[in-house]
Amino acid sequence: MLGQLDYLWIGLINTFDPLNFSMITLGLIIGVFAGALPGITMLNAIVLVLPFTYLMGIVPALLLMIGIYCGGVFAGSITGILFNIPGDPMNIPTTWEGYQLNKKGFVSKALGMAIITAAIGGFLSALIMTIASPPFAKVALTFSSAEYFAVVFLGLSSVVVIGTRSIGSALISLFIGILLGTIGMDDIYGVPRFSFGSRILETGINFVVVLIGLFAIGEVLEQLTMKGKEVGKLARTRPKTQLPSFMELWGLRNTILRGLGVGVIVGAIPGAGATVASFVSYGVEKQVSKHPEKFGTGVWEGLVSSETAISGSTGGAMIPLLTLGIPGSGATAVMMGAFLLHGVQPGPLLFTKTPEAVYTIFVGMLVCNLIMILAGLFTARFFSELMRVPEIMLGAFIITFCLIGAFALRNDMADVWFMALFGILGFFMRRYALPIPPLILGIILGPMAESYFLTTMIGERNDWSIFFRRPVSGCLLIISVGLLVMPFFRNLRKKGKEIRT
Amino acid sequence: MSQEIISTPSPKGGRNLVLRLKAPLLIFFVALFLYFLAGRMDNFSVPGQLGPFFWPKAILIFLMISCGIKGLEIAFSPSPGPGSAASEISRPDVHYPRLIYLIALVLGVVLATQTIGFPLANFFFLWLFMFAAGMRQKLYLLTTSLIGTIILLYLFVKVVYLPLPRGYWFFEDLTLFFYRILRII
Repeated sequence: MLGQLDYLWIGLINTFDPLNFSMITLGLIIGVFAGALPGITMLNAIVLVLPFTYLMGIVPALLLMIGIYCGGVFAGSITGILFNIPGDPMNIPTTWEGYQLNKKGFVSKALGMAIITAAIGGFLSALIMTIASPPFAKVALTFSSAEYFAVVFLGLSSVVVIGTRSIGSALISLFIGILLGTIGMDDIYGVPRFSFGSRILETGINFVVVLIGLFAIGEVLEQLTMKGKEVGKLARTRPKTQLPSFMELWGLRNTILRGLGVGVIVGAIPGAGATVASFVSYGVEKQVSKHPEKFGTGVWEGLVSSETAISGSTGGAMIPLLTLGIPGSGATAVMMGAFLLHGVQPGPLLFTKTPEAVYTIFVGMLVCNLIMILAGLFTARFFSELMRVPEIMLGAFIITFCLIGAFALRNDMADVWFMALFGILGFFMRRYALPIPPLILGIILGPMAESYFLTTMIGERNDWSIFFRRPVSGCLLIISVGLLVMPFFRNLRKKGKEIRT
Repeated sequence: MSQEIISTPSPKGGRNLVLRLKAPLLIFFVALFLYFLAGRMDNFSVPGQLGPFFWPKAILIFLMISCGIKGLEIAFSPSPGPGSAASEISRPDVHYPRLIYLIALVLGVVLATQTIGFPLANFFFLWLFMFAAGMRQKLYLLTTSLIGTIILLYLFVKVVYLPLPRGYWFFEDLTLFFYRILRII
């Protein structure tokens, strides 16, 4: 049996394999451009490349997506600092401070600080992921279907609670997603459900098609049909990036460590992701600051805390994906799709069946964050040019890529039709403020939840108490119920306070 | 991804409440219909087991309960709460003619790809889409549509070997003709 260090060495060799390394580099480039262009986003880029990863092995596919993930999460800060336009909602706190620093004349240093602290956060979180995942996977190997059901249930509950203002809307979206996952042949009994005699529906609705439609096409339709949309003024500058000195970074070490901690913990919570990590870290930093009133006027701690947390969440989100098969964020949910496309079930068995692949992913992520510094340094100055590409043209080509991507899954036009219909649905979901991430996680996690649930019921002869008799399963379910019920009590308490005042 | 916008207050009224409840009500009745449909499809009972339709029916019940929760949120919110149907009033206005046109284009390109083949369908789609979204320079439209389509064909048909739809009848021959001219096949 090879030790962890031996697998890391194999992972290092595999990472520098020409195909794998080129996938990391390509992914970083795509991620940086997609993350920086408002409306495209890192998540859309991962969704768009997903169908094409079917043509490659699972490791290069994941390295490509990890490259996009790592590059995309920080790239939105570049346009935020330069033009006051965050590339993604997660980059809003960085924009608050970064653009003010730009106005004060520190644009080069702000870009450099964002890049370096993002790289530090990403690298350290990848290191944490490398160290924490194997023991976590060993514990997960002792799980039965009851524990897995409880973990998936926790994942679904977390999505509902975190980051949504309307619990009702989130629940509706979630259950619609789970319902969509039931269409087609049932895994346990082999019975067609909601197929209405249609051959197309009997094969089920491919979640990749739903992803592409809801995210990419829905977003394009919304962006291009909004009246009176404001577009930030583009500066005719090609700024250089100036990296901070070691002493400057050392002075911000506490901020970096806090951002990293928040990023990893929040990133590991299913449904949270980089956006929540970014705002929580910014808020925490403001709380502990001696001068909280200065936040928003161009404060280095604000920029650093946000960027470190964003990149720190990447490693955190990968931990539940690799060890339990539960995605920690929207991006890792799409990566899970890559696993399923290749017929690989993420989870603790990955560490025993294909440890070389797992450690290649670990090392790939470490290397990715180091190369990200170079990608950030050289692309920042070109963004003022790239931002001139008309949004109309980008939107048209995005839809074309979606069409090709949906077709590439099974060479079936039915998938393309579904994608188009879900794209229209995605627009109306945004219009009526029905959140999309719960639907996506519902369609991915729903079938898993059903499978684990029914397997447990069959094994235990419909004895529901098994979920609470097993301690891990019981604790997770109680936490999940608490998460679901907590918002109602919070609202009741808020209403009580309003009535008293 | 777009953010929910904090809505502005609006007067509460019975008719306004019904309008705000229309989305959850619609979803509720669709879920109810599907529940009864699932009951009629459930001819595969397995002794001592929950069966294949237990899970979808349970989810449909939870969906109906969720619609109820949403309805209560809307009914008891003093102003159109975030996430309610009426919050669309405070969202940026939509250019509805352009929306309808773009939706028709998206559906149309899927149909056209099937019938006249990807090259022609994509060329016209790029042109019409950019035109509908506000681009008016004809030379720009022509060059972008043409060069974009050619690049995509080289990338996906020649390099990736993706068998993009060629269309039916005459259009299939036309597509193959384009491929031969472009040295794709």
